[in-house]
Amino acid sequence: MNWDVIAENAPQYVQGAKLTLILAFGSLAISCVIAIPLAFLRNSRVNAVRYAVSAYTLLFRGTPLLVQLFLIYFGLAQFGGIRASFLWPWLSSPLVCVMIAFVLNTTAYTTEIFAGALRNIPIGEVEAARAFGLSRWKLGTRIFIPAMLTRSLPLYGNEMIMMLHATSLASTVTLLETTGVARRITLDNYIQFEPYVTAAGIYLTITFVIVSTFQIIQHRFAGYLNTRTG
Amino acid sequence: MRTFFQTACAIALASTFLSAGYAAAETVDVATDATFPPFESIDANGKLVGFDIELMEAICKAAELDCNIIAAAWEGMFPSLVEGKYDALISQLTVTEKRRKTFAFSDIYDHPIFRFAAKKNANLEITPDGVAGKIIAVQTGTPMDAYVTAHMPKATIKRYDSGSAPFLDLANGRADLVLGYQAQIVESFLKKEEGKNFELTGPEMTGKDAKEFGEGVAIAINKKNTKLLEDINRGLAKVREDGTLKALMSKYFGK
Repeated sequence: MNWDVIAENAPQYVQGAKLTLILAFGSLAISCVIAIPLAFLRNSRVNAVRYAVSAYTLLFRGTPLLVQLFLIYFGLAQFGGIRASFLWPWLSSPLVCVMIAFVLNTTAYTTEIFAGALRNIPIGEVEAARAFGLSRWKLGTRIFIPAMLTRSLPLYGNEMIMMLHATSLASTVTLLETTGVARRITLDNYIQFEPYVTAAGIYLTITFVIVSTFQIIQHRFAGYLNTRTG
Repeated sequence: MRTFFQTACAIALASTFLSAGYAAAETVDVATDATFPPFESIDANGKLVGFDIELMEAICKAAELDCNIIAAAWEGMFPSLVEGKYDALISQLTVTEKRRKTFAFSDIYDHPIFRFAAKKNANLEITPDGVAGKIIAVQTGTPMDAYVTAHMPKATIKRYDSGSAPFLDLANGRADLVLGYQAQIVESFLKKEEGKNFELTGPEMTGKDAKEFGEGVAIAINKKNTKLLEDINRGLAKVREDGTLKALMSKYFGK
């Protein structure tokens, strides 16, 4: 065992963990905002709208995230037109490419989670709200969205954890997040166990925080969904 | 009954050892990271080709070894050698002090030249201050990575998993410089369409200029496998004597 190497590289792990957090929570925050309207469109009565959103979620759930990332990072760069365009200063940055890929991917999953929850809201809740004469806007913000989000909590917690772990792919396009740091140490020092166990510990700690937070949120906001006995 | 079990166990154990010994004697698994033309790459037919591949085949033939050359991922090769999944690695591996602690190395078979590549007329001065703020692309865990990390701290260093990815990002403008083996830069990049606006720049560097470039390149072998080390060195000596090594050098690098 050679833990001295890990101790020497502790600052790198701190940087890596910071980047992991930025990638995971940055993409989750953006995608959450986009997924809410998309979930409504996914259940739209207009066929064209519903199919368009379905096609998007199928495309991004049906292909591996790594392939999506390579297409955006290396694939787009192959076209001279894109390199000459105003987009290039953005697309030349690995961070921007990674965020685009992650947001597109996790939004697809989140949209389906939210849309499923939306379909499962008991019609009674909606009818009661209508009977009170709520406007469409208030019906959405006071009834549909809160009911959709609370019902999505368990599945969404899972999606957050999956996204956190998926950030390890960012190191394939030169972003040195937690896994990238571990890989670099293995290649510099030819030890395997210690660097990856350290990385695993970092992911486990973050996951633990996510799970605990979700339990609190679930208890506080989704308690009304629990089956009451007695 | 007890003796029956004991005998059965003894037979099982013995046959395991025998078969393991037999298998090891039969084929030598040599791994290579085939993203590194002209040294090692995969051609359009999926066949491994390149200087290292031909050299390894010649060594195996000379030493009467039955070798099986396998394309492996760069980062997975090293632990797999330590664990014994592969018996040897040939991948233009530079011999460094750090690597010697973990692997055994054959005799050195070449002294590669390291160079930078940049856009034509970029007029970059290859000094620690000249490259300040520039982006240098290298493959992770290579001597090139070690060199720029140690000597060019003011530059931004981008590290890639494969030997070919740094050139993709040099070509599309995400990186200003690539540090690589001169032959690799010329053969796999400058001679191609994507590389026509690029050129070699800065001084020719070898292990004599910086310790990060190592003593030369050699075949890495599991430290415990002293027999294979002897065999490979014997094969290498033969290949050197009969002119095969020289012929390969002139075929690939014209030297």
